[in-house]
Amino acid sequence: MLLCRATPLDGLNLWALGGTGLVAGILGSALGVGGGFLMVPILTLALGLPIKVAIASSLVAIVANSCTAAGIYTKARLTNIRLGLLLETVTIPGAIIGGFIAAVIAPSILSAIFGLALIYAAYTMLTPKQLMYEDNSSANGSMARNIATDNLSASLANSYYDQNLDKIVTYKVNRTPAGLVAGFFSGILSSLLGIGGGVVNVPVTHLIMGVPIKAAIATSTFIITITTAAGALIYHFHGHIYPFIIAPLVIGIIIGARIGVELTQRAGGILLRRIFGVFLIIIAILMFLKTANVI
Amino acid sequence: MNNRNLKENRLNNWVSLTFRLGAAVSLALIIIGIIILLITPGAADIQPLVRLDEISAATVISIGILLLLLTPIIQVIITVALFSASKDRLFIGIAIAVLCLAALSFAIALL
Repeated sequence: MLLCRATPLDGLNLWALGGTGLVAGILGSALGVGGGFLMVPILTLALGLPIKVAIASSLVAIVANSCTAAGIYTKARLTNIRLGLLLETVTIPGAIIGGFIAAVIAPSILSAIFGLALIYAAYTMLTPKQLMYEDNSSANGSMARNIATDNLSASLANSYYDQNLDKIVTYKVNRTPAGLVAGFFSGILSSLLGIGGGVVNVPVTHLIMGVPIKAAIATSTFIITITTAAGALIYHFHGHIYPFIIAPLVIGIIIGARIGVELTQRAGGILLRRIFGVFLIIIAILMFLKTANVI
Repeated sequence: MNNRNLKENRLNNWVSLTFRLGAAVSLALIIIGIIILLITPGAADIQPLVRLDEISAATVISIGILLLLLTPIIQVIITVALFSASKDRLFIGIAIAVLCLAALSFAIALL
């Protein structure tokens, strides 16, 4: 059964797919958001692919992006593996429940509410007080292992070498129960509204749990690997995976991922927060447009 | 270097290696598939995965894609083994729960 139009994969498509992957790889890995927000519209609107093929191709490319980025982030000890696994235990059930909710209610109102929540998160990311906090995070976390009062908190405390600050940043994970509750609802929202997990993972780990922005981005990338792979395997089972579409996307996105990771490692925390804040505002505007049926 | 740091380094090194190896081998297979595609006339029509047995380029690329999709699952299994080796019961349970939940979401989606 041929699910997709049998268009020859000419040179133009090959470069267009590779270029799309490259840009999505840079943005997705630098911000810990995967890159699906960019790929799906381009694959459907510009390249004319059916939506299911576009989503399936995007998911596979995101797995390639997140695996490449997670490999480098983890080697640099930026990834908090334990925190990532812990959050997975609530975001996956949240996503499953979100899938059921999506079947019974229209998500347009929720899109607007979520848009407002993203504006608030963006405001928090961009306010001067919070920006100052980013520079102080290492100082706050320097006594992490002494402050930690239980086994879980002690296990989640972590440290990494910050290239930009040229020092070891040690941090503790705050408000773990609140972070898990937020992670559960973020799983519901990401599934319900069809947005990438990174859009919510990064604010939850950074703003609620107090993880430095670089570690939050790296940990979000780690979380995305497994959630996206599970989704992509489902599309694979249903026959929506087209090797010749995915191949140039994956090549482009793996190159982009390496560039994005390098940018994140070299960038300052404040700059990353500003970029992520602007990114959240863009996603919020898209949510409002979705509510108004403009897109 | 204390015991905790040694365990953390081992965990990070293995997880990183799994991701990098999975991505590198997948990329190599996909590039080989693209090369076969470009040097084989008439094989460039977009084909679904179910017909991959007809085109060798698609077969090679599809194996690369499958390996890529299985890499995160393999990584969690390796994490379970590493936590088991360090007798970290809490995170053995958490990692196994992640595997079970991923399997559950997959099963539900197929219903």
